[in-house]
Amino acid sequence: MKTEPAKRLDSRAKTLWRITGALGALPLVAGGAFASWILMSVADLPLLFGILPLLAALALFVALASVVPDLRWRRWRYEIRDEEVDLQRGILWIRRTLVPLARIQHVDTQSGPLQRRFNLATVVFYTAAGANQIPELSARAAAEARDRISELTREQDEL
Amino acid sequence: MSSEPRHLHPAAMLIDAIRIVRRSLSAFVIPGVVFLASRGFDVQTIVLVLFGALVVAVFAAFWGFLSWRATTYEVAGGVFRLRWGVVQKNERTIPLDHVQSVDTVQGIIQRLFGVVEVRIETAGGGASEPDASLAALDRADAEALRREIESSRREPVETEDDAGPTILRRLGTRDLLLAGATSGQIGVALSLIAVASQLFDDVLSESLAQRLLETFAPRSVTAALLYVLILGLFAWLLAIGGTVLAYAGFTLSRDGDFLYIRRGLLERREATIPLARIQAVRIVEGLLRQPFGLSSLRVESAGYGEDAGVSTTLFPLLPRKEVHTLLLDAAPEFAVAPPLNALPRRALRRYVFRSTVPFLFLISAATLFSYLVFDLAAWVFAALLLLLPAALYGRLRYRDAGWALEEDRLVVRSRLLGRTTAIAPRRRLQSRATVRSPLQRRVRLATFQARVASGGGGAELRVTDLGSDTADGLIENLGPRA
Repeated sequence: MKTEPAKRLDSRAKTLWRITGALGALPLVAGGAFASWILMSVADLPLLFGILPLLAALALFVALASVVPDLRWRRWRYEIRDEEVDLQRGILWIRRTLVPLARIQHVDTQSGPLQRRFNLATVVFYTAAGANQIPELSARAAAEARDRISELTREQDEL
Repeated sequence: MSSEPRHLHPAAMLIDAIRIVRRSLSAFVIPGVVFLASRGFDVQTIVLVLFGALVVAVFAAFWGFLSWRATTYEVAGGVFRLRWGVVQKNERTIPLDHVQSVDTVQGIIQRLFGVVEVRIETAGGGASEPDASLAALDRADAEALRREIESSRREPVETEDDAGPTILRRLGTRDLLLAGATSGQIGVALSLIAVASQLFDDVLSESLAQRLLETFAPRSVTAALLYVLILGLFAWLLAIGGTVLAYAGFTLSRDGDFLYIRRGLLERREATIPLARIQAVRIVEGLLRQPFGLSSLRVESAGYGEDAGVSTTLFPLLPRKEVHTLLLDAAPEFAVAPPLNALPRRALRRYVFRSTVPFLFLISAATLFSYLVFDLAAWVFAALLLLLPAALYGRLRYRDAGWALEEDRLVVRSRLLGRTTAIAPRRRLQSRATVRSPLQRRVRLATFQARVASGGGGAELRVTDLGSDTADGLIENLGPRA
């Protein structure tokens, strides 16, 4: 494939992902702390070993709340071309997806409460073999993308 | 085409009555048993229970009659209309354009009366709009209804030869048994037996189980082996039985743009597959079948609009060599057999690595564990022994993987246990993707995936470890252009 897709997600996505990443990792930290407590008080392991689960959970927490959103944002790219939607994503496993507009049945924009705080929205488009999405575009860009996809889809149908 | 409202076959009364009895059974069984248990089995109680059963049966029969009288169907003015309901009158109209398929099913009761159940699958409405089902029609009526619906739905140009469906292939008795014997469903049957024996254990009283165990318990290794052998044989027979039930009399025929499948021993099933809905064809050479040059054919078929499609068997067993001929007759769009492109040499190492990595992991874990806690040398040894077969399996998967592009049709082959060749036309691909793991990136390999519509959110065609450029070229070339 010649070039990467041209467009990036909205930069506020990083902040949003940091928050959701941190919130998502909280139960993990709690679990790690509990495991450490069990190891030290019940199984009587020395501090050196007992603290390991908590440390691991904390490391994961820090990663999810800092580095991971950046990497993810840097990789995520999309482009709505005349005939296809082009997506690229994934930190370790890099996935490139092409969806012909003629195959798209309908398009939604969705935004959850947290997304709305940041004025962000997700574009979801459905084919007969499942859905694909472009997450965290600014509300305006999402609406534009949605309208553009549905417009192009209609054109393709008329052909 | 128009017609008077028609009633179902009178057998529908009985079918409805049985349905009512079956439904009320669950409500009556527990109070009934409690009643019996509390009163004991004297004559009076049994008479009372029988009387209760009689009342239910008479009511059910009466209701069945009323329900039969209230149910009518007709095809008129471009719609199929069904009226039903004893107390609440219902009417459903289905535009004939929206009818996706007219299938007939023959349950045991229907077989007794020589009638069929007709199911009309609607399309476009998704799951919210239920299909129409006619519990009992005699064969002639069912055929007439099917023709009425399909003739209005079909393009007028295509009705030029009205010779009826031509039979493409029939599954003989020998092939049926062979299909069962090589179905590889022994595992399923084994787990069924396990569940059954669990139930058996729960039901048996402990002392009885003890006595049985003492009588039948294996006393030596030979006896234990014998047990395993017998169990395996039993499971095998069960698998054959299951296949015979499902596929007896399997007949594939074609009429213009529709494929028809008839199959089943006790329950005769008929299904319609419009050719235009077939998204992909899979040729599956099962582990037990490939050595004999045998395979089975499956199709991925899409629904209409948002309606979910299905993945279904097009033919359960035929020689791999004859697949192409059958496809030429049944679904010519999918009849391609180009030579496949192999994967690059460097992919072999990835395949071998992938199949051996669980064992490598096991070996290192067991070694570490032996070193730290207690000796697991036997485990390490066993894992080492498995390493070679695993590597050979990886090499086999590498050699069986391949792809080709012929006249707008994508052909991919891969192996999990059996070897599967999938064929899909370019215009059916809903999306294409490449995936690259960090290890794949290092050696310039990529995994190619394409999705087609089918049941449960689509089906996937995949080639693992293509050359990076080849994969990019594939997703580019399979686009809507060109």
